[in-house]
Amino acid sequence: MNNFVLNSIRFVLFVLFQVLILNNLEPGFGLYAMIYPLFIFMLPFQMGTVPLMLLSFAFGLVIDSFSNTFGLHASSAVVMAFFRPIIFKWLSPRDGYETVEAVNVYSMGGRWFLYAYGTLLLIHHTWFFAIESFKLNEFIWILLKIAISVPSSFLLSLLVQFIFISNKKAVR
Amino acid sequence: MRNLIAFFKRFQIFLVFVILQIAALSAYVRYSEFARLQVFSSASTINGGILEIRNSVAKHFNLENTNRKLAWENARLREKLKLSNYKIDRELIQIEDTNYHQQYLYLAATVINNTYDKRNNYMTIDIGRNHGIQKGWGVISSKGVVGIVHLVGESYSLVKTILSKNINVDVSMRDGGAFGLLKWDGINPKICQITGISNDISIKKFTKVITRGGSGIYPKGIPVGVVTKRKSIEGKPLWDLQVRIAEDFRTIQHVYVIKNVMLDELRELEAKIPVDKEEDEF
Repeated sequence: MNNFVLNSIRFVLFVLFQVLILNNLEPGFGLYAMIYPLFIFMLPFQMGTVPLMLLSFAFGLVIDSFSNTFGLHASSAVVMAFFRPIIFKWLSPRDGYETVEAVNVYSMGGRWFLYAYGTLLLIHHTWFFAIESFKLNEFIWILLKIAISVPSSFLLSLLVQFIFISNKKAVR
Repeated sequence: MRNLIAFFKRFQIFLVFVILQIAALSAYVRYSEFARLQVFSSASTINGGILEIRNSVAKHFNLENTNRKLAWENARLREKLKLSNYKIDRELIQIEDTNYHQQYLYLAATVINNTYDKRNNYMTIDIGRNHGIQKGWGVISSKGVVGIVHLVGESYSLVKTILSKNINVDVSMRDGGAFGLLKWDGINPKICQITGISNDISIKKFTKVITRGGSGIYPKGIPVGVVTKRKSIEGKPLWDLQVRIAEDFRTIQHVYVIKNVMLDELRELEAKIPVDKEEDEF
């Protein structure tokens, strides 16, 4: 129950942060910082893939409804939810994820976070920008968009975790 | 049968993935056909309300710029008043004007949400069906062309700006009158492209581009921008023209929605154009 309340609050906050602040931050060069993949990333480990994808779909639709993309964010969020268990399995630590309570940079360590979140973010952004343009002759422009947006989204996600998540539990 | 169920169980995750992708992408590709998708856009009442609250905070940052723009426009309109004209034909008798009828009506609107950096850019304005807005009407600002009304909600509507994939505004050169279609390649929110002008027509740099008024959405002569660069497309006898557009979408706050009184008549006439049968036979 506690988990449910926490994630519901996160749902609202991530949506508001994305649509009221980040969607209006348009510095040019194709930079589009996205914070909402972090919500999907930080959902509990125990969640099955199917509920994860359904939740991501709903979450993406809410983002879509504010940024007038009609399903583009939902599609990218589902892609990310689909690949999340695969990447997690691929990067699983020696004694599994059973002792870990939450998915964030403190509990899992910086290196793991870089690999796992970086890969998922790359998949998410590639899918997003490719479907958004859907034209082969804009290929280089799409690559530039990905190359510039992924690091900024990643740094932003890192910053949000440093500010809002207390690391008391991680201190051993 | 058991095999079938086993198959579905095995590929359950992938099946759900495919179904959700089909749902999302079909909505993205053919959104204009679903009128109900209006609920999932910023033209809906709840989303529009939230974005309006945001705008009521953010608009103050641009106040100075907006004031300057409105003052500029006032000055321009004041020049057009009869008071500022010097009357030459003193001998003529003024009769009641039956030669001119009103064709275009303008509704002022405030922009409450706007993007310019995405592949398709939309703008939410604070008037909707309650104010009589309909889909397909043109939107301009005091500087130039802005876009076309895309979705209409109860009290908000969504405008597809000229910074979009298939916007195809009918434009022409002010000097010379060569006409083509305005497009946007998604890179720079200040530069648009014009296609469809044959490259044996000479076009000088810094030619002003205006709307042609062919489709009845905009009146003729609304400024679009200035030609800044031109080169031939390889393998085609066409110009590739770069146009610096007149409106700055980064600071836009007030727009006008254009109602063409004779739009229905125009559409009705154009629907009667017979299909060319000779082309079908080939």
